[in-house]
Amino acid sequence: MSDELKSNGPAKSDGEPTASRSTAPMWIIVLTLMLMFLGMVYFDHHSGWFNSQVYGPYASAEELESYQPKTGEAAMLAHGKARYDQVCGLCHGLNGEGKPGQAPPLAGSEWVNTKGFERVAHIPLEGLSGQLTVKGQTWSLSMPAMGAAMSDEDLAEVLTYIRNSWGNKGSAVTAADIKALRAKLGAHPQPLSEQQLKALPE
Amino acid sequence: MKSGFRVFLAALIALGGSWCGFVLGPVLQLGGEKQTTILNSSDLYPVGRPGMANQGLQVYCANGCAACHTEQVQQSGVMCDVVLTSAGKNPALVAQACAEAGMKTQYRTWPPPKLPITVSEGLDSAAASVAVAEITAAGGKAEIHIAATGPDITRGWGLRRSVAEDFLYDNPVQLGSLRIGPDLADVGTRLPDANWQLRHLYAPQSVVKDSAMPPFRYLFRVQKMGSEPSPDALNLPKGFAPPPGYEVVSTARAQELVAYLLSLHANVPLYDAPFTQAVAVSKP
Repeated sequence: MSDELKSNGPAKSDGEPTASRSTAPMWIIVLTLMLMFLGMVYFDHHSGWFNSQVYGPYASAEELESYQPKTGEAAMLAHGKARYDQVCGLCHGLNGEGKPGQAPPLAGSEWVNTKGFERVAHIPLEGLSGQLTVKGQTWSLSMPAMGAAMSDEDLAEVLTYIRNSWGNKGSAVTAADIKALRAKLGAHPQPLSEQQLKALPE
Repeated sequence: MKSGFRVFLAALIALGGSWCGFVLGPVLQLGGEKQTTILNSSDLYPVGRPGMANQGLQVYCANGCAACHTEQVQQSGVMCDVVLTSAGKNPALVAQACAEAGMKTQYRTWPPPKLPITVSEGLDSAAASVAVAEITAAGGKAEIHIAATGPDITRGWGLRRSVAEDFLYDNPVQLGSLRIGPDLADVGTRLPDANWQLRHLYAPQSVVKDSAMPPFRYLFRVQKMGSEPSPDALNLPKGFAPPPGYEVVSTARAQELVAYLLSLHANVPLYDAPFTQAVAVSKP
């Protein structure tokens, strides 16, 4: 290096020293691209794509989802309770006791304590209109189709919760059941009257 | 300077790039963090710390507690246990399914008189789901019990890893990076006795014999005892107690610090860090 400078020195004695430009060698560009590619592959496998909910031992949102404790009736009822308190509990009461002038009780209701789930599942999916007799008392109210916008899983959990709480006894409802029922109802279900509801299978 | 603009541009890119990486990226990722709900419940998490605990955080900072203590439980893995809750109407088939799922214990009577029992431990979620499906198909009922694993969890420092929500209302966040003392992320659950905490701050070696922690006596006041001891005087063992006729009373700062320590918990399951809350499982 110093030899070069010395030998170049006298030739450029009148000008300022300048830095010459040279193109980046090809192997550096290839190496950089390879490292970037490997980095992306690493993120794909380990980071859940910067999802703010994916931490540590979990590598992706799907893996995290698979570790949510959701099997077992206890978990299903707990999920159902959370949804019920948000959606249904405002009118039907947090303990299913109903509210005078707003909504009939669910606890001990003959419409809830049926053998199968089907009749009661029609109510949140289609809504009610006109008079309805619950526990010997006539209610003249309409209910919008509150469950129409809920997912199959949520609605199944809410129904299971309603059918197994406050002294009610009923079988568990699965998301597949709700899905099948939805397919049967079609796109634009109409609110049911008491007669129509009674005509449905239990 | 001939290439001033180029130098400026290079500096801008270098500084701007690191600002994006260290400031913008984390803000985009976690800046919108909101209160969430505890898993399988409608209770909100976290709820803000009580006012006194919030002031305690400032005392925690002022005394440099984070120099020796971390507030982050780490988790290296997760494991699923399959728990049999009911043997159903055909116990023999269920026994077969349990054996296939990896149950090693031989029970003298089947089904065992005390359910639930752990069928197999340390599975991943897919294997656990398969085992549960097999037991369900045989007519029994089983649940998956999810637990965090790792050295910190084994030490009892928390039931799950720390996540961003834990620090939602803290300013500044005191994560810490050095563990000369134990992790404090779950200390409010582990050592919930305020009097123990106060004694420990005044004289660490009086409650933990070989503790390396320095005493924080200046958070306390030694005063002459009146006709009766003060209600909040510390109850110290021999060798740590002040001379007769004197008593040690905590100052407001000590009480705030303890209120903060007692408000530290890492024991509720969240969506980001799920686990199954302890159910009574009879171990074989």
